[in-house]
Amino acid sequence: MGIRMATAPKGLIFLIGAVAACAVGLAVAQTAPTTSPTPDGPAAPIATHPLSTQCSVPANEIAAPAPLPTLITRLENHQPLRILAIGSSSTWGVGATSNRKNYPSQLEAMLERILKDVPIEMINRGVSGETAGTTADRLRMEAALIKPDIVLWQVGTNDAVQRIAVEQFERTVSRTVAILKRKKIDIVLVGLQYTPKYARDEHYFAIREALKRVAAEQNVLYVRRYQAMEYISKTKATMQMMADDDFHLNDVGYQCMAEHIAQAVTANIFVRRRKPAS
Amino acid sequence: MDELANRRVAPTPSVPPKVKGTRAPNEIDFWRGYALIAIFINHVPGIFYEQFTHKNFGFSDSAELFVLLAGWSLRAMVDRSPDLEPVRLVLRIGGRAVTLYIAQQVITVMAIAMIAATALLTQTNLVLQWNNAAAVFEEPVTANIGLVILSHHLGYFDILPLYIVLMWMAPVFAVLYRVSPTVLLAASGGLYVATLYTGFNLPTWPVEGRWYFNPFAWQFVFALGYMLGGPGPGQQIVQKYRLPIRIFGVLFVVGSLFAATYGWYFDWLNAPEPAAFFVVDKTFQTPLRLLHVLALMATFGGAFYFILKYLPQIARFCSMLGRNSLNVFCVGSLLSLSGQIGRFALSESLWVDTAVLILGPVLLSLTAWVSEWRQRLRA
Repeated sequence: MGIRMATAPKGLIFLIGAVAACAVGLAVAQTAPTTSPTPDGPAAPIATHPLSTQCSVPANEIAAPAPLPTLITRLENHQPLRILAIGSSSTWGVGATSNRKNYPSQLEAMLERILKDVPIEMINRGVSGETAGTTADRLRMEAALIKPDIVLWQVGTNDAVQRIAVEQFERTVSRTVAILKRKKIDIVLVGLQYTPKYARDEHYFAIREALKRVAAEQNVLYVRRYQAMEYISKTKATMQMMADDDFHLNDVGYQCMAEHIAQAVTANIFVRRRKPAS
Repeated sequence: MDELANRRVAPTPSVPPKVKGTRAPNEIDFWRGYALIAIFINHVPGIFYEQFTHKNFGFSDSAELFVLLAGWSLRAMVDRSPDLEPVRLVLRIGGRAVTLYIAQQVITVMAIAMIAATALLTQTNLVLQWNNAAAVFEEPVTANIGLVILSHHLGYFDILPLYIVLMWMAPVFAVLYRVSPTVLLAASGGLYVATLYTGFNLPTWPVEGRWYFNPFAWQFVFALGYMLGGPGPGQQIVQKYRLPIRIFGVLFVVGSLFAATYGWYFDWLNAPEPAAFFVVDKTFQTPLRLLHVLALMATFGGAFYFILKYLPQIARFCSMLGRNSLNVFCVGSLLSLSGQIGRFALSESLWVDTAVLILGPVLLSLTAWVSEWRQRLRA
């Protein structure tokens, strides 16, 4: 409990900052979409979705800043957002009580609350147990057919568990991310599942590192799901966020996952507002 | 062409059935056998030897070869009874579709049991989500319906559903071909072009998505196999322009080797619209993949006779697998899953991969051998 008291405010402060900045940005965008916005604008009438206490993690544990140019442009122009959530079981929602509780559905509701004047269409293409190679093929096809503005790609866990070679994994993800960027589709890489079972597994670690490298090299947003979840499990030992299989998330776990992604995305709108893209 | 003649003379009455109750090694069976081994290896993702199957050296992979030769073999079956009236023809092909459907249900149930047993024995529930199986354990109410109506496929167990749909279409193909080969070419080709143009595909349920093998696109490969698999305008054209076709085949195969190696081809995301005509995609069986499998056939057609002469064991081995393709395919699917489980349980290493590579084909040949042994006993 002591630890929770010590850490929660930090996350909360960041979130308030992020959401406020997002709100401000939107308010500015509403009045003057083409002008360079400032963080000192008037407060916008946007309802916020606070990071819940149970899911609170310091922002720097969740993600490093990275640009989301298409998202910004579409928000500035009040255009609807089409989001493609692709990946494996964590996207499909293994462990959730219904598909309304999987992370894409919860995230859709959160983003709709935060960006309340922007219609959001979330398309779920999670296939359980899939490795990056197969998902990458589907992703390129679905991206061409669905034409999303943002792709949330949850990837890595199955490659780590199924012992896919690290170089092969890295090459697959890197190539696919590069091509999505060229197509002006924003990409958010959602990292590996946290589980104590694989905490000391070298291959698991190597795949996590590879994903981190790809995100850094390609300068795309990477949600460090493993760190964030590890943080929660260490600071809130009594909280039950895993499903009965002790590997997948339950509804609360998926809520935290969605909140972390929502925070990472909105924090990047905040970064963009403070430092207009070069 | 030659292989059909070969096929007809194969069960020579002078040879006692105890020794040879089966047809002699032939080109179609040989390549089907090769495709079955390649599918077995490709379905153990991450295995070291995956990089040596022909999918790495061009646009298409063993799935195209398998479907093309399935159409080819169906034609041979239909041609064996040329006087069959349309109703009986439809019933006979329909019966084959029922057999395939039963096979799909049996191997799917066994795969689910294997996945569940692995989860129990290794105390790793994570295994329950492998190969799109999660819905079966998590949402059994809908997933069980999905399995029966073929809207839910386990990963790597999605070729037979395609094959079943193709067999449902096959009576129409056979009847159209009897009306005129041109009518079949126009109907099948038209459906293919329309599918690529619209991006239409069958949905999956309860897992949101679409079929991995789009039957409306893949039917064209099957129909081409059917048209080329027996005497007719297809074979006449091939015979008339044998040399140019072979030259084109070799050039295309070599070109696609470089293109695949260096990524010189359109991706879904940088292709002109409508993208499906320009990309290399398995779901939509795009033109480049289709041309590649035809080019492979033009290039390696006849190579079987050299293999039979200089490597007769290999020729006989693959032909035996190909002769029993359904049984071998079903056992192969389960062996691939066993390979995945083995690599997971024993941790990946070149030793495990080598054991999988050797054990798989040995057990596949045992499957074929037992199947033929039963046939001989019945004979």
